[in-house]
Amino acid sequence: MGLKVYADRTSQPSRTIIIFCKMNQIDFEEVKIDLSKGQHRTPEFEKINPMKKVPAIVDGRFKLFESHAILRYLACSFPSVSDHWYPNDLTSRAKIDSILDWHHANLRQGAGTYVFHGAMAPAFGLPLNAQVAEQGKKLMLSSLSKIELFWLRGDSRFLLGNSQPSIADLSLVCELMELEVVDSEERERILEPHQKIRDWMENVKRATHPHFLEVHGILYELKARLESRRNKVSTNL
Amino acid sequence: MGLKVYADRTSQPSRAIIIFCKMNQIDFEEVKIDLSKGQHRTPEFEKINPMKKVPAIVDGRFKLFESHAILRYLACSFPSVSDHWYPNDLTSRAKIDSILDWHHANLRQGAGTYVFHGAMAPAFGLPLNAQVAEQGKKLMLSSLSKIELFWLRGDSRFLLGNSQPSIADLCLVCELMELEVVDSEERERILEPHQKIRDWMENVKRATHPHFLEVHGILYELKARLESRRNKVSTNL
Repeated sequence: MGLKVYADRTSQPSRTIIIFCKMNQIDFEEVKIDLSKGQHRTPEFEKINPMKKVPAIVDGRFKLFESHAILRYLACSFPSVSDHWYPNDLTSRAKIDSILDWHHANLRQGAGTYVFHGAMAPAFGLPLNAQVAEQGKKLMLSSLSKIELFWLRGDSRFLLGNSQPSIADLSLVCELMELEVVDSEERERILEPHQKIRDWMENVKRATHPHFLEVHGILYELKARLESRRNKVSTNL
Repeated sequence: MGLKVYADRTSQPSRAIIIFCKMNQIDFEEVKIDLSKGQHRTPEFEKINPMKKVPAIVDGRFKLFESHAILRYLACSFPSVSDHWYPNDLTSRAKIDSILDWHHANLRQGAGTYVFHGAMAPAFGLPLNAQVAEQGKKLMLSSLSKIELFWLRGDSRFLLGNSQPSIADLCLVCELMELEVVDSEERERILEPHQKIRDWMENVKRATHPHFLEVHGILYELKARLESRRNKVSTNL
């Protein structure tokens, strides 16, 4: 019984796992868990992940959740994975761990909060919350500045000045891609001052072509649905 | 030049690093960074950690921040570290990584928010915020329940049913020790329904004796200072 990846492609960490597996020729079965339909709250999925979140994996009898733990496990377990994703060298690896840890309470917290409460909530039958979205936005913007100042210093193609992407690049850029679902002008305003961030995102997209584009396709559908809902609301006023 | 650990013992992740090093006979110099005096915002410390947070380490020319990344690095770099802290076995290691990742947005977020906004803020010249503290408390309580239901199932001495502590046990219990600074009755009310949590904390304290008690001494001093400040405020009303 091979690797199963339980995922919802609208979830940033789910996309990270899927793209990583495809890039590294890791065979897997993608099991779709539709968050907007509450499929993460079924008793069946609770047996896979008692925290009721995606992504989660099952590898034989071994179950695992939390995307960074999954990425580390896959990088160390599958010989087809190139070293640059999660280097064997201890100090290089530690620097990547540092970014992955920092991510939770910084870019993920900021961007995730901003996108959900500012745009995505209606897809889950929930109302928007401009105040919470604004707090998320502040944290997101300060996180983008820190990434640029520290990890994308100089001519860095990837985080830490690496010449090839690591799991940290993939995880953080998938998070930022969630911005595709907000209003396009707003997204442009957010990213326009951040040249290094935009270049870095392009570098990651190119390095993980064609999987990156294919896996992110769902966001464009979601954006169209949310926009049509926003238009309906405006015309009904 | 040996290992330097930049720490403030009132900071939960700082304590985890210090206790870990002492338990594993890792020689280090503890450089005190007093957060209440703003020493994390000096230009000198910014060179050590541009994110201006503790803990951070310098090992020769190598600098690192984020406590989980530091613990992984130390566990893998120093041969004196026993395997149970961060096992070589990939699936055991992945399970510990999963808890460490989960911790950021759950127990740490909840307990950290509750303790800071409910009790500790005045030590930093900031006002308390009961509403924010209450949100933190809810997240903390739900996190405690999850730990008990899942990682301390059955007769588990340590997380995952392990017979010896891992870096996940140390991190999460150091986080919970921060509760020592809140009002004692309130702390009792919070922990009283959580027998497994209390037993687990005792197991970790015993397994890391005498360092655990010694490193946490500062919390009792801090608690006394905060209580005397609370009493002054009450008598001045």
